[in-house]
Amino acid sequence: MRDGRVDLSGRPIWQDASFDVESGTIAVILGPNGAGKSTLLKSVVGLVGLSAGTLEVLGDAPRRGDARVGYMAQSREADSLTSLTGRDYVGLGYDGRRFGWRRSRDKVEVVERALELTGSRPFADQPLRTLSGGQRQRLALAHATVFRPELLLLDEPLAGLDIAAQAEIVDLINLIRDTTGAAVMVVAHDLNPLAHVVDQVIWVARRQVRSGPLDEVVNETTLSALYGHPIEIIVTPRGRRVIVGLEEEFAHPHPHGTDHRHEDVHEHFAEVYDEVTR
Amino acid sequence: MSVWQLLQTSFVQNAFYAVTAVSLAAGVVGYFVVLRRQAFAAHAIGHIGFAGAAGAVLIGLSPVWGLLAFCLGAGLVIGVAGTDLDDRDAVVGVTLTAALGLGVLFISLYSGYANATYSILFGQILGVSVSDVWLVAALSAVVVLASSGVFRPLLFASVDGQSAAARGLSVRTMSIVFMSLLALTTVVAIQIVGVLLVFSLLVAPAASAEVLTRHPGRAVVVATLAALGSSWLGLFLAVWIGGPVSFWITGLASTLYLVARVSAALRERGRRVAA
Repeated sequence: MRDGRVDLSGRPIWQDASFDVESGTIAVILGPNGAGKSTLLKSVVGLVGLSAGTLEVLGDAPRRGDARVGYMAQSREADSLTSLTGRDYVGLGYDGRRFGWRRSRDKVEVVERALELTGSRPFADQPLRTLSGGQRQRLALAHATVFRPELLLLDEPLAGLDIAAQAEIVDLINLIRDTTGAAVMVVAHDLNPLAHVVDQVIWVARRQVRSGPLDEVVNETTLSALYGHPIEIIVTPRGRRVIVGLEEEFAHPHPHGTDHRHEDVHEHFAEVYDEVTR
Repeated sequence: MSVWQLLQTSFVQNAFYAVTAVSLAAGVVGYFVVLRRQAFAAHAIGHIGFAGAAGAVLIGLSPVWGLLAFCLGAGLVIGVAGTDLDDRDAVVGVTLTAALGLGVLFISLYSGYANATYSILFGQILGVSVSDVWLVAALSAVVVLASSGVFRPLLFASVDGQSAAARGLSVRTMSIVFMSLLALTTVVAIQIVGVLLVFSLLVAPAASAEVLTRHPGRAVVVATLAALGSSWLGLFLAVWIGGPVSFWITGLASTLYLVARVSAALRERGRRVAA
């Protein structure tokens, strides 16, 4: 992306965004709620158009329905259904967009391969409703990787999972990258579970986008400049990063803040505090 | 006349063919109503159809034309404007009240005997003519064929709209397609069970199937069988014991749903105890 900008209902979400993601690497997209992390993924998959700048996805303009791009949305209605098994859901990833009555012969095989790769075969025949969050995420990954995409876009694959399940999904994302050689872009809330596999960080905040290797973006100078006030980063003995100074961002929402839904500042502060101290 | 002689009369036979056709369409479309959580839209479309029927009677046309025009029109409005779950309820509610207001106006303008509108409300299952049977059968065939043709994309758009959109499906188009199918099914079902009970064949059998089965295809089959079972048995009981057919059909369909929920809950508990 070069100098990309997205407007939603007449307001800029972010602008002057420039970054590259190389194949075989993992880029994590970080930033506060409502900063436009998901919007960034949606622009790559063709669901949201750029209002300025250029974007090239695997050599072409972004377009919906490109089989070389796999996309996993943040929430899925399917998860609450009794009459849909994981295998059915992964199958929809394969031929869900096709009209008519014809069945494809290699569907069973392709779906099986995706289930195998993501380790979701043992629970693939149970209704989605009865599965755990981690199992559903594995199936969603199988759904997104059914065509062996060259670019894999994952929107909050770790949301709502406990630490052990988060670690499993991160290992799986790493494994998928290693076996398929795909470029992976992951939207996340917390850097720490992903830190050991990440090649690149894309930080979205205050209508700006910063991209680069982990240590170039997640350092005190870059983040302080981005937020306009001092940010401190403490590295724990086990190598986890605690970012101090972002509380400000949530406790005193700036006037052009893009997320007006969080009325309760105190509650939000507690949430963020919890997140950084984890 | 004995029950068996009654069952052989032409009006009971026509009713039998008509409920069969309706149940086939309602089973397929009903599954998507439950899946997409659009029971309110299904309910509203029936009532909107009532206004259309009243309007058609007012200008001297057969009620079925008014039903078709209003149900399809409302289906389009809801399908286009209510793609997002966020505003769907409001869109359905406003469309419903607007149409009902028109219905009240049409009835007050109509000076004749309101028998036609009464039968629209409660159905006239035993007054079905041979030509009605053909119309109902033709519309049902269209619905069943079209639904099976769009089954996969409609399912995909219903269970994971974002990912379906990313794969190049238009979620809005699928919403319009679904609402049109729902509107046609409603038109058909209103002829038989009436506005007030159209819901019973669309929702209860499919909701039971969603609880009882694991695969979408199987759920459609079970929903259709449940709709067929309740309407055949309901028709038989009405002839045998008496009472309105639509009462028996709705009673059976609702009981079935109750049984499905209870048995699913018991099974769930059994599994937990075992684990």
